[in-house]
Amino acid sequence: MPSDESWLDRFVSGLPETRVFQRLASWLLVPYWAWRTPVKPLPGGPHPSIQPGDNIQCMMNLIMPLKDKSPIGRAKAALAIAQNKDAIYAGLDNVGTVHFARFVIVGDNICMFSVYDGDFTNYIRDFIATIGGVFNAVVKLVEGGDAVTPCEHNVEAFIQWVHERDLYQVPDTATDLLRDQEALNGDKASFGHDDLRLLPRKVVLQLRANANVSLGSGYRAYPGFSAAQVRNQLGIGW
Amino acid sequence: MTGSSVAKQLVDAIIANLPEPAPGLRPVHTMGVGVDGYFMASDVARNYCIAEHFRGHRVEVSVRFSNGFGGPKQHDGWSDVRGMATRFHLQGGVKDGPATDLIATTLGEFFARNVEDFFEFTKIARQHPVQRESPWRKILDMLQLKEPVRDPYPKETTNTDAGALSYANRYRFAQLAVFEAAQIGAPVSYTRATYHAIHTFMVEDPHGVRRPVRFSWQPVAGVRTTDPTATPVDKYLRHELEERLRRWPARFMLMMTIGEAGDALDDPTKPWSARRVRVVMGTLTLTNLAKDQVADGERISFNPWRLVPGIEPSGDPILHARRCAYEVSREMRGGCPFIRSQADAK
Ligand code: HEM
Repeated sequence: MPSDESWLDRFVSGLPETRVFQRLASWLLVPYWAWRTPVKPLPGGPHPSIQPGDNIQCMMNLIMPLKDKSPIGRAKAALAIAQNKDAIYAGLDNVGTVHFARFVIVGDNICMFSVYDGDFTNYIRDFIATIGGVFNAVVKLVEGGDAVTPCEHNVEAFIQWVHERDLYQVPDTATDLLRDQEALNGDKASFGHDDLRLLPRKVVLQLRANANVSLGSGYRAYPGFSAAQVRNQLGIGW
Repeated sequence: MTGSSVAKQLVDAIIANLPEPAPGLRPVHTMGVGVDGYFMASDVARNYCIAEHFRGHRVEVSVRFSNGFGGPKQHDGWSDVRGMATRFHLQGGVKDGPATDLIATTLGEFFARNVEDFFEFTKIARQHPVQRESPWRKILDMLQLKEPVRDPYPKETTNTDAGALSYANRYRFAQLAVFEAAQIGAPVSYTRATYHAIHTFMVEDPHGVRRPVRFSWQPVAGVRTTDPTATPVDKYLRHELEERLRRWPARFMLMMTIGEAGDALDDPTKPWSARRVRVVMGTLTLTNLAKDQVADGERISFNPWRLVPGIEPSGDPILHARRCAYEVSREMRGGCPFIRSQADAK
């Protein structure tokens, strides 16, 4: 860009975009820094908060690897959802805290993404009570799922199992990722000897430890309102 | 309230750190352009705030867009925070009559919690000679997976980047603002950026309920910045605006976010969660560049304390410090005096 740039400057500035550098980074630099400056994977689910606005429209993002990694395995998962459509709607209407829920197959994973109001454990507990059968049908197709099904008989273990698979929600503001890591390490200081220029490395290492994450806290057209409030305002009952 | 001697020190601290003197001009947000337009409150605005400009009738406005840098040089294409200062002309819309101001920038939060922080920042974040990092240093940074140091722009000989970074490395509260300011880039148009008023204000509804809120302007044309790898152009924003408004008015939506108990009311370094209720308060329509740029682009003087009944300042120490600092600066550059609003007159 600037006119005083030499060929060496240009070459070096372009390095990060080259294949060679990208290979070097992913094969050598990232593992090296992960070893030198290890980071713990940040826990999944919503950030704990006592503020009402943070406890409505919460996100759950589950990515569950299927046991049968073939088109047949994926078809079984698709069928498990399709066969339970009525049960899902019945649960949705009875529990009344879900804004939306989606099941998606990505590669050999079945994913469940939902937006719900209130406490996570209550959300799962309510659904175990109303549509435990659907959970069982899906979770038994998933790696590690046998240990927690039938969910009605393993309520706490099931909740924990789901929580462990809920993705880390990367904060909306870049530097809050640093705050999350500090909190996980028990570092509560407001002053430090940080190096803000290391933020990229910290993001890379977190994404190495936590390959699947949710980006941001979600973008909402009507933040701050529960599913029940929205339905009530629309005059469609609940 | 912050006294006038502190205000003078604040302004002096800013002036002392200018890359070159700018007598008779604003010490920050020096280069700007005045624009005329009008504001129409939304149907719901009056349910939240009794202030005159939220009642629903057309309110004439004067806006000044600016580049954040202080100093008489114009570098539109450099990465920089931009300003949008809006004056709502009340009671019939006479310019120089009763009014209220809303001052906003493209940065969502500030780097200092109070005056002491601000003074320390200005001591550490001083103008410093800059040169391109050597290729070997860059390679070393890459090997450490570090954010590269930005190459200086053509003709950029000093900047405050290194000092701001070292301040942020020391004080975590400043990290968000410093990090975001470093990434902010240049908008393709003043009308294609979101502007935040940063501080918390208290608004009162018709039932006397007071709520903590923060205001932002969202561009109807959407947000867009220039290509950061292209050579920056020094002067384009004013011409772009003029051409744009000749063809079609530009609009902004005024969004008001309502805070909850526990949200930072008095700390401008702390953003609020994106999960707070957002209310559409109205639409600003910009129609043309102000004909008299001396009056409406230079002498016009904004103050975040020019408020009307229905909107009150929070206890934010930075907001309090700005009241006198802007007056001192205005007097030093011969700007238009702070016409007292109804609220002040009380
Ligand atoms: C202690 C903190 C601050 C100090 C000392 C300060 C100081 C100043 C001064 C002296 C001016 C020139 C005023 C004039 O001559 O009319 C100015 C302009 C401006 N400031 Fe600040 N400022 C502070 C914080 C902020 C914050 C938090 C914002 C974000 C909303 C902000 C946004 C602006 C804008 C947009 C302008 C240009 C206004 C115009 O176009 O006339 N400032 N500031």
